[in-house]
Formats: sequence, C-alpha cells, structure tokens
Amino acid sequence: MTTIAADDLALRRSGATLLAEVSLSLGPTGSVAVIGPNGAGKSMLLRTLAGIETPTAGQVRIDGRNLARLPGAARARQIGYLPQYFEPHWDLPVIDLIRLGAERAKHDTDGSVETVIAAFELAAPRERRWSSLSGGERARVLLAMVLAVDPPVLLADEPAASLDIRHRLDVVQALARRGKDRLSVVVMHDLDLVFRFFDRAIMLNRGRIVTDGPARDLFDDPRLDAAFGVEFERFKTPDGSLLRVK
Amino acid sequence: MKVWLVLALVLAGALALAACAGHEWASPVDLARALAGDTDMRSRLLFEWRMPRVLAAALVGVLLGLGGAVFQGVFRNPLAEPYLLGSAGGAALGATIALLVPLGASQSLLLPALAFAGAWGATVLVIGVSRVAGAVDAAGMLLAGVAVAAVLGALRSFLMLALSDEAVSLQIVLSWVLGGVQTPTWAVLGLFAAISAGCFGLTTLLARGLDVLGLGETMAIGFGLDVKRFVALAVLAGSVVVAAAVAFGGLVAFVGLAAPHIARWLVGPMHRPLLPASALVGASIVAIADAIARSALPPSEIPLGLVTAVAGGPFFILLLARRLRT
Repeated sequence: MTTIAADDLALRRSGATLLAEVSLSLGPTGSVAVIGPNGAGKSMLLRTLAGIETPTAGQVRIDGRNLARLPGAARARQIGYLPQYFEPHWDLPVIDLIRLGAERAKHDTDGSVETVIAAFELAAPRERRWSSLSGGERARVLLAMVLAVDPPVLLADEPAASLDIRHRLDVVQALARRGKDRLSVVVMHDLDLVFRFFDRAIMLNRGRIVTDGPARDLFDDPRLDAAFGVEFERFKTPDGSLLRVK
Repeated sequence: MKVWLVLALVLAGALALAACAGHEWASPVDLARALAGDTDMRSRLLFEWRMPRVLAAALVGVLLGLGGAVFQGVFRNPLAEPYLLGSAGGAALGATIALLVPLGASQSLLLPALAFAGAWGATVLVIGVSRVAGAVDAAGMLLAGVAVAAVLGALRSFLMLALSDEAVSLQIVLSWVLGGVQTPTWAVLGLFAAISAGCFGLTTLLARGLDVLGLGETMAIGFGLDVKRFVALAVLAGSVVVAAAVAFGGLVAFVGLAAPHIARWLVGPMHRPLLPASALVGASIVAIADAIARSALPPSEIPLGLVTAVAGGPFFILLLARRLRT
C-alpha cells in the first residue's frame, strides 16, 4: 500500500510553464482519471509523478519520502509507468521485453515473468519479436512489462489511444479494476469511459488543476465545457452517462 | 547452446588457420609439434613469433567487438562504430602524440593513457557537437563523428609531418596508424590478455543497463536506470576498450561495426549474450584479416587496417542501404 503526493509542483521547460501550483494526494487505492484538453499538462503531470521529469519547484512524495531522493531501483518497484508511445530500439522478442520489466524485482524474476505471461495471454506470441506484433498484442506486452513487478502505483499515459474499441475497453477496464486494491492513475481522453469506470477525476487546464473530485460529480460540472471549449449535451443511460458535443 | 559451440569452433578454426598462414605456410602437424615443445627452428619460430601474433590479433578483435557492441548499445544505433564515431581517431591522435612528442614519460605508459584520453575526448566531442546541432539521431551522430574524425585525422597528419625526423621514422607511425598487430612476447601477450579480460568484465557490468536503455530513455528511467550517469559511464568504459584496442592494434576499421552485427544475427539483440558473442566474432575476423595481411603479398605485409577496410566498407554500405530502405 503506497500513497503518492504532489506539493505545489511547477514544471517549466524552455520558458514555457507546463505545470503550476499542482498539489494533490493519491492512494493508497483508487482509480483516478486525469483529463483535460490537449496541452493541459496531463502527460507532464504523470511523468513528474513517475520521476521521469524533475519538477522546477515543489516535490513529489511517495509514502512521505521525497521521490527525487529515492534510488531508481526502489522507485521502479513502487511505481509502474506506462508511456503513451513505446518503440524499443532493438527488435526484442516478447519474453525478453517482459523479463526486462520483471528484473526490477529483487527476486523470483522467472516466477513473475510466467505469471504476467499467463495473465496477459501472451503464451502464444512469447517468442515473437516486437515488430511482428499487432497493436493489441503490443499494448498487452507493454502492460505486462510494466506490471511484471506488480507495483502498488500504476501511472498510465493514454494507454489505449491507438487501440480499437474492444481492446481499448479491455485495457481501460483492467486498469480501473486495479484501483480496487492498488492505486491506478490513468490519463484519459474518452470522457464516457471516465464516468463509467473511474472513482475520481482530476481535470487539468493550462498546467493547473481545475477540478478534483468523484468522477460522477464532474458529469454535470459546467467547468468541463469551459475547459474543453465546447458545449456538451448530457445523457443518462441505464449503465452510465454519455456526453455529446452540441 | 548450439550457437556458442559454433562460435567457439569458428574461432578455433580461425586461430588454427591464421597460425598456419604466413610467408611460409605451416601444416597443422607443424603447429602440433610447436605446441608440444619441439625445439627445432621451425617450431620455435611458430611458437615464439607466429602464435603470439595470432593471439594478439584475436585479442584486438575481442576488444573491437566489445567496443562496437557497447557504442551501438549506448547510442542505440546499429551504425555506431568506434572508427566512425571518432573515438578510434581520437585514440590514434593521442597515440601519435605519445609516439612523436617528447613528453618525458615512458612510452609504454604514455601511449595507452593518451590513446584513452583521445578516445574519450573524441566521443564526448561527437555527442556535444550532435547535441549543439540538435541532431542526436543516428544520422546526426554519424555526421558529427565524420566531421570530428576528419579534424582529428588532419591534426594527426600535421603532427606526423611536423614532428617526425630521423629519430622517429614516419613509417613507424604510419604503419601503426594504418593498423597492424605487432608480434608480442608471451609476457606482453599475457598482459594484453589480462587487460582484455578486464575490459570484458567491465563491459559485462554494462549489459543489463544497455538492455534497459534499448527500451528508450523514458522506459529506462521508469525501470530505474539513471540514464545520464549510465551513458557517461558506458561511454567512458567504451573508450577504455577502444583505447586498449588502438594501443595494441592501431586503427582497424569496421570490425567494431561488423562483429556486433553478425553476433546480433546469431544470438539476438540482448546485450548479455551479445557482448561475449561480439567478442568471439571480432576475434575470428581479426585473426583471419591479420593472416591475410601477413600472407597475401609475401614477403611484404599489407597493413591490417587496409584489409578490414576493403572487406568492411562494402559491409557498411550494405547495412546503410538496408537501413535506408526500411
């Protein structure tokens, strides 16, 4: 069980402010969607929480400890970061890619490799190289690599962006389900899936947090329309809520 | 397992063939007699002259294979090569200074030290130039490498013209620059083997980091690698390996490019098997190339670097064409 918090984070690159005055507290469990228009700072927030980017001001704390002072190996066991794009430089087979993910653990690499291969149904393509995999298989391999050490915190940046509707639904559901006993923070573009599967939604605009609360409360919030610069029509359905741009 | 057996057999065959080759060809029976301690002139010549030379050539190949695999891994670029990235040129400049400039220290210490400083300095310069030019991709790095290598080559030529005299023959420096393994004594060969083993150990320590780095910088940081520190360390280690290769074998082109490529076809791109496989392939290539250099035009010798360049140039063009097509 791990908590992650941001204290007054700021991130500036080449004179541009990408994040400002971002404070939040997450975990130890829950499914959290991070939403906002393009350029709102969603990816940068996730990268900073994951320790990929170093904040210009403020700090990220994991279980109360400053993330910047945590050794890389310990950070990699606590936080699984799923990037938006992934293309390995060498055309490795599935089994080697997953083993590299599993080696973040201190012991029993082989056991965790076999566990995730079974969990993500990768037994058939285990010897195939990355270049020969379909989009759906690639998404499963990437998830298996990141989740091979079963990290208590998962930060996923638009993990389903390039997938067809069925695979997108599978991945988003799996990530949201993880929030039942772990922390799952996911950058999402599909707002209907946010209302349907996530407990909490954080909306960013121009690098700042606009709203942070239960996902279902955001559905009727007019700030949603303002942030995305459109007017939404709202529909309640038996199994969720739907938005349509007017 | 089968691949390793094949690699070991190929190397054993290459060493045996190289030991037979020369101005006067020896038979496998001659080799066996020399190894068994026979004291006739032919056996002694084989044991004291040809065999140490063949093993030294193989060790130069080991180092070039390792250096190439490390540089390709660090730059995540299959076209990276110590020769093309300027590090071999830097090492050559350092070694030329050691040979020509009277600096007062013992040349056996000065040559490897300056070769290392040159290799490291040139690699850092290439990274710096490609960053300033905003082209850290494969093509940018290679262009920066070509530019840096050209400047270093010009400086080296200037030093050779300006400083060689009766005391230091231009031919000694030139033959060394064109690549060539000197025949070492068994004691020197032992030292070279120990240095090569140290280099092998050093690069083995980098293997997992190189594998993680191959996933891309973002994933590598996510998987706990301190990328900036690791790249700096790996460049340093690669420079040590290249400097050792240049100090013992001069400028030997394209082996650092070809050996990791052939090894990757055989054992895949993971660096844990790739590094030892590149070392074995490099050893086989240089042992054979050195045998050709010794025996193709008797009684004279062709510089080793010319043999590898003639064979390696077309190999590089082939790789470049394949890469551009994909």
